[in-house]
Amino acid sequence: MSELNDIIHQPLRLKIMAALNALPKGKGLEFSHLKKLTGATDGNLGAHIETLAKANYVAVTKAFVGKKPQTTVTATAAGRSAFAKHIASLREIIESGN
Amino acid sequence: MKNESKRMIDRSEASSALADIAEIGARVRQSLFYRRTSAMLILWGALTFAGYLGMFVAPSFSRCAWIAIMILGICGSVVIGMVSAKRQGVNNFSARLLVAFLVFIAFGLIWSVALGGFSARQLGAFWTSYFMLPYILLGLWLGWAFVAIGLSVMALTFAGYFYAGDWFPLWMAFVNGIGLILGGLWMRRS
Repeated sequence: MSELNDIIHQPLRLKIMAALNALPKGKGLEFSHLKKLTGATDGNLGAHIETLAKANYVAVTKAFVGKKPQTTVTATAAGRSAFAKHIASLREIIESGN
Repeated sequence: MKNESKRMIDRSEASSALADIAEIGARVRQSLFYRRTSAMLILWGALTFAGYLGMFVAPSFSRCAWIAIMILGICGSVVIGMVSAKRQGVNNFSARLLVAFLVFIAFGLIWSVALGGFSARQLGAFWTSYFMLPYILLGLWLGWAFVAIGLSVMALTFAGYFYAGDWFPLWMAFVNGIGLILGGLWMRRS
């Protein structure tokens, strides 16, 4: 059996990383867009983004668009690399037949 | 590596995780595509609303107005496409798509102007339903929102053509124009 990245493998964090990795490098998703895509609540999503940010897998930027605050989450290079390794591990498990 | 643990999962859990990843990836791509194209839909909605309203108020100017609307719509769509593609970091320009669009327009012009000799009412119904056809066909691949918008606008166009009488241009301003604007706003929220 393969070793998995526990930080990424948690269901909501896996969705967050999958969504961010579907974007071109350097591009991020707004918090509200990410919330809609993952179906998570504000608090839950915020907590899991924080966990990913602490692991340096995502970068969080806050800005004002007009008078509205806008939070954007972007996968870092380390996050993309860890996610790619995680997918490789998942494929390995399937191919190994365990 | 400090973030990796000895967590073990079986084959079915791994398959399920990969399926989740593929599904959310597809949702992201569809959502970004909807956001890219929603501005174009809103633009065409506003332009066709103005065109049909003009056709209702001053029918004699409608031919010139529609030519201007087509030019504005095409140029505006190109600009929106370029800006949103740059913002989202994607390069979705396709020469084949451009040629397909030109062939589509040429086919419509040949039948509606050169061969058909349609009346203004028939032209209105033809171009609207003709433009909705690719929405329905491409929607089978791009997302059901396009199919729903295409079918709804086409059905309402035919209803207006047969039953709206002299109010047909005004009917079309709301069905086609406002319909596309509402469709675009809905897609932006998805």
